[in-house]
Amino acid sequence: MATIDLIDLKKNYGNVPAVKGVNLRVADGELIVLVGPSGCGKSTLLRMVAGLETVSEGRIEIGGRDVVKAEPAERDIAMVFQNYALYPHMTVRGNLEYGLKNRGTPRAEIDRRVQEAADILEIGALLDRKPRQLSGGQRQRVAMGRAIVREPAAFLFDEPLSNLDAKLRVQMRVEIRKLQRRLKTTSLYVTHDQLEAMTLADRLVVMNGGLVEQIGTPTEVYDRPATVFVAGFIGSPPMNLIPVSSLSGAPAALPRNTDIIGIRPDALFLDPQGGDAIALAGKVELLEPIGGESHLHVRLDSSGQSVVLSVPGRPDIAEGSAVTLHARLADIHPYNAQTGRRTDETVANL
Amino acid sequence: MQTKRTIFPNKLLPYALLAPQLAVTLVFFIWPAFQAVKSSFEREDPFGFRTTFIWFENYARLFADPGYVNSLQKTAIFSVSVTLLSMSLSLLLAVAVTRVIRSNRAYTTLLVWPYAVAPVVVGILWWFMFNPTIGIAPYILRGLGISWNHRIDGNQAMILVVIAASWKQISYNFLFFVAGLQSVPQSLTEAAAIDGAGPFKRFWTIVFPLLSPTTFFLLIVNINYSMFDTFGLIDATTNGGPNQATNILVYKVYADGFLGLNIGSSAAQSVVLMLIVIALTAIQFRYIERRVQY
Repeated sequence: MATIDLIDLKKNYGNVPAVKGVNLRVADGELIVLVGPSGCGKSTLLRMVAGLETVSEGRIEIGGRDVVKAEPAERDIAMVFQNYALYPHMTVRGNLEYGLKNRGTPRAEIDRRVQEAADILEIGALLDRKPRQLSGGQRQRVAMGRAIVREPAAFLFDEPLSNLDAKLRVQMRVEIRKLQRRLKTTSLYVTHDQLEAMTLADRLVVMNGGLVEQIGTPTEVYDRPATVFVAGFIGSPPMNLIPVSSLSGAPAALPRNTDIIGIRPDALFLDPQGGDAIALAGKVELLEPIGGESHLHVRLDSSGQSVVLSVPGRPDIAEGSAVTLHARLADIHPYNAQTGRRTDETVANL
Repeated sequence: MQTKRTIFPNKLLPYALLAPQLAVTLVFFIWPAFQAVKSSFEREDPFGFRTTFIWFENYARLFADPGYVNSLQKTAIFSVSVTLLSMSLSLLLAVAVTRVIRSNRAYTTLLVWPYAVAPVVVGILWWFMFNPTIGIAPYILRGLGISWNHRIDGNQAMILVVIAASWKQISYNFLFFVAGLQSVPQSLTEAAAIDGAGPFKRFWTIVFPLLSPTTFFLLIVNINYSMFDTFGLIDATTNGGPNQATNILVYKVYADGFLGLNIGSSAAQSVVLMLIVIALTAIQFRYIERRVQY
């Protein structure tokens, strides 16, 4: 049980900065998800915490102890790799025991912990098999098991579910969440999948270009994206970002310096909603039924920009027909294009 | 395995297409092999007028001959030493090169060069360097208080041919080890590092076991090489001497047949060698296909 503190953490590859100064405190027992597009520095950050990458500048503290100079083994962490990194020539039991044996754990203790982990993950029947005899999901469990038996101060997950098929991924996601709740081990979890991020995280860290864009609970991040980037990244389909200049008659009620407004697809309506609102005229380009709801792609008359709205059921609208979209002012996220930040609050989230 | 079948319009065409390869194999491999087996059962009189069929007498004499048993022993020592020396050195070099990031291509290129040198030339190079009269190595060794003369000292002669033969084979082993090391996923070493294994432990418990298919393949190749491809090297350095000290099987075949003109015995010896190659190849095919278990 421990906290993880990242203080002004930076990583440069030659002259190329990969992580440009990250501050983060992971509370004891908390599961923090680092999410962002490829190349945003989230994996580099995790590997620095693991000790697999050197730190260019800044500090990492695990349980209050500065570990920047420490070997991976001395950091009391366990990592689950994207490709599981199971030792192919060892049995499942051998894989689970390896870390304990290296640390000179007594035999009885090793057996107890392996048994316990096998029970938790229901892999007891697989202990004598080799990794190649296991399915993807089973390998994933063994990789988790290898982390659990160590009883480390923190778990590090590097996109652990991205090699699984969609169905298994959902299942394992739930299991990881349950397991982490049960063990209450401080965890850092890296993913590029925002659904995974939203459902797993106690708090989300959205990264872009080596910097933290926003830190907050999934609901906070979804309800009040701090920056234009977060607004466009979190949510599926993504938020519509519309330049104020392209609105016919911008509503006076927008905060000062607002030049981009964001409207989530489910906050756009085909009928007037009453109260303060804006209206956008356009033509339906495409209607995508996706089961319970449909996505309507509409090209705005004013700017030619395409926006998406999601409507319940299967609306009876022909492609090419003219529509007017309505959005309540309360649902509008105002941003400034220059700073990329919200204009309706002084964000001091970091 | 599903392969595409080609139907030839003419029944003779496929045979005609195979004929050149079959002819080469027949003339240069099967026919001489058959000749060797045949002569190994015969004795020729000194003037070549008469040949007598004598069944297994050549073989019986061979294994009763202390000279042949000595040659077997020398071959074993030579083969094992060359295999161990060249494989361990090349593994060391391969590990070292994969750790160098910036200039590993240059090192790799340089390390591969010795393979392009013909065995006889290798022999002559080392013969010069270790020549008791004009060589640089004996000069340096004398400075260290070691008197080097492989023309007199059988052990020194053996050391010389082992070094020369290993040196030539290091390049080949090195290339395979580098390729093998690159196919061990980096995440495994990283996982082991987190699991508390130091660099040496990581190598011996993770990397080395995963290299075992490569190692096994090279083991067979190296034994084959040291037993059969080192004739030129021995011929250029020691001529099997002094006092039979480096007279390995493949050299003895030549010495007995072409210098001693005992064709029958020489043929019997080549048949024995042939059986050894067949055995090694069989082992290789049987296990390499299956890979070493992991």
